[in-house]
Amino acid sequence: MRTLVEVVARAGPGGRTVLPVVRASGQLAVRRTGPSTVHLVATAFGPLGGDDAEVRLVVEAGARLAVRTVAAAVVLPARGESPPSVQRVRAEVAGSLDLRAEPTVVTRGAHHHALLHAQLDDDAELTATEQVQLGRVGEEPGRWTGTTRVERAGTPLLHTTVGLGPGAPAWLPPVAPRAYASTVHAGAALARATGEDAVRLPLERGWVATAWGDRLAPTLGRLALLEGAAPVEEAQ
Amino acid sequence: MTAALLTLADSRLPAGGHTHSGGVEQAIAAGIVHDPRSLEVFLRRRLTTAGSTAAGLAAAACRAAGRDEPRRASLARLDAEADARTPSPALRQASRQQGRGLVRVGRRAWPTAAWDDLPPHPHHPLALGVAAAAAGLGPADAAQAAAYLSITGSATAAQRLLAMDPITVATVTARLAAEVDAVGAGADQAAAGGPAPTDGEPGPAWLPAGTDPLLDLLAEVHADRDDRYFAS
Amino acid sequence: MPPDHLLDDYVDPYDDPAARGHRHGPLRVGLGGPVGSGKTALAAALCRTLGAELDLAVVTNDIYTTEDADFLRRNAVLPDDRIEAVQTGCCPHTAIRDDITANLDAVELLESRHPGLELVLVESGGDNLTASFSYGLVDVQIFVVDVAGGDKVPRKGGPGVTASDLLVVNKTDLAPLVGADLDVMRRDAGAVRAGKPTLLISLREDPAATEVAGWVRQQLRSRAAQHA
Ligand SMILES: Nc1nc2c(ncn2[C@@H]2O[C@H](COP(=O)(O)OP(=O)(O)OP(=O)(O)O)[C@@H](O)[C@H]2O)c(=O)[nH]1
Ligand SMILES: [Mg+2]
Repeated sequence: MRTLVEVVARAGPGGRTVLPVVRASGQLAVRRTGPSTVHLVATAFGPLGGDDAEVRLVVEAGARLAVRTVAAAVVLPARGESPPSVQRVRAEVAGSLDLRAEPTVVTRGAHHHALLHAQLDDDAELTATEQVQLGRVGEEPGRWTGTTRVERAGTPLLHTTVGLGPGAPAWLPPVAPRAYASTVHAGAALARATGEDAVRLPLERGWVATAWGDRLAPTLGRLALLEGAAPVEEAQ
Repeated sequence: MTAALLTLADSRLPAGGHTHSGGVEQAIAAGIVHDPRSLEVFLRRRLTTAGSTAAGLAAAACRAAGRDEPRRASLARLDAEADARTPSPALRQASRQQGRGLVRVGRRAWPTAAWDDLPPHPHHPLALGVAAAAAGLGPADAAQAAAYLSITGSATAAQRLLAMDPITVATVTARLAAEVDAVGAGADQAAAGGPAPTDGEPGPAWLPAGTDPLLDLLAEVHADRDDRYFAS
Repeated sequence: MPPDHLLDDYVDPYDDPAARGHRHGPLRVGLGGPVGSGKTALAAALCRTLGAELDLAVVTNDIYTTEDADFLRRNAVLPDDRIEAVQTGCCPHTAIRDDITANLDAVELLESRHPGLELVLVESGGDNLTASFSYGLVDVQIFVVDVAGGDKVPRKGGPGVTASDLLVVNKTDLAPLVGADLDVMRRDAGAVRAGKPTLLISLREDPAATEVAGWVRQQLRSRAAQHA
């Protein structure tokens, strides 16, 4: 099943943002939930193995856009030999983009690929958070592969691929996290910081913070410490 | 040609590798590596993340070095790609230190104009790619050397720090040979312009970018210590 | 292999600056020798004695800690930015002999920081009698042993004792206490060193290391004469 979401944010009169394009087809619907906020709503179970979703975001100069989802995405395997499901977020940002989806839960036998490719103008702002839990409560973990590529003015700022779950490189004892959360920020610099199973690394005019562990809630708590923010409310 | 590859991957090549533990010194301090089995796990982890990333960059740099134009620009772009794949300041410094060391020996051992087109303190995989090209080797060899070197330094460091049986450590690395080959071959393919799995766009932007946040954390904690044997 | 024309612009790969003996930049002096023989004490003494007349810096190769570098800082014989400590990966002799990369990096860093540098002392991590510096790293080397190891040390030889440019037998003040015969040490050293100098000193009694400083000055002069 192919899903396509497109949102364009443009600077409107009086410093407000208008959203001239808000459309979706396939398994996601998109709702305007604030002046510069949209929520993605799943219209079916899944994603399912083999599903392919692309989210195209354009934030023009002077505009702001916040993208949220309404609930955790529970990734399920297709019947038989399940191919991975794929979600690509492609963002072109001249203004400010804030991307924070609810957690992705990858169930047993499923393999989810998440890609974020953000192309930023020189003074664009980006904050993107990824939250992953492998397996539902009491369930064997699934696999998750996440690639983040952020470019500023054509120069790569961050490009990493993290593989989690059985068979992935970073899934080897004694450090085989079932929960993972990461935030990349481009805009203002923060220095390097280390914590328990958590690390924040500086980027040029930005930073990337990552935390991992067994369960998502405490993992998010550790991530929040590195984001310099109050701990976020417990996710399901 | 094989002899050139062996020279490049030889731990006796005086390029400064022996002062870097590839994270294993801190992994030992953290209790993650303590015996041959846990060492093997650590090496595999490193091989398939940092090793694969280095191998892709080395292969791409070897390609870039073999072309006359626009070599300087291609190498500069690859250096930026290496930075983007190495957000840990400690690991960046370790990579650039080793790159500089390899340039120092490579320049004399395999003189070629391509050395002058590298940035002043290049990431190690870039220096490796240029050295491979200068020694008459191809991108696949460069990738192979990078993959191999991603584990041998750590293996030796663990042997020294844990006073392990050198034969056991040699066995651990020998048993990883097929995986080293696979990582090298996969990275070489990516550098040749094969499509990225989730993307379909070829080119240096989509070279392997395997990362292990645990290795980043270990590297940063290690850098803060003033009681360490190894530079990284 | 690269086509021949590519080689035209390059120096002869076998052109070894160390072997030619007229490398540019500061004189690099290696200080080697067993653990605790007085390498850091000698480095500190040379800094104090020569610091006023020479632009100098020190590289330390501590084995585990930054003890030696800290000592030099604490005793304020040199400002911080003239001391570089390198890690040697558990192999102090590799770092000064077989793969000198980390030390070259440190020397070059000091050179770039202090363009007028005239003298760099490279203290090796305390090792054994077989450890010696590569001449790719240093121009001349001083091997420091002490009398506390017994008067047999020069006789035992090893590259440090036989081939160093200057052998220093330190802590002569302790000779009576440990029953070491200084004459035996002087004679044995002379026998294995083929005419190269040996100095018996006590840094306790002469904290200025007058004789060693004089030898270093002479090295600088003879290098200057070579360059002229
Ligand atoms: N009695 C006596 N003690 C000395 C003399 N020179 C140095 N020492 C002492 O010997 C000890 C070791 O000296 P260091 O200079 O640290 O020796 P080192 O060779 O740098 O030691 P490592 O770097 O640990 O190998 C110190 O406690 C010094 O004070 C001397 O001439 N006489
Ligand atoms: Mg000392």
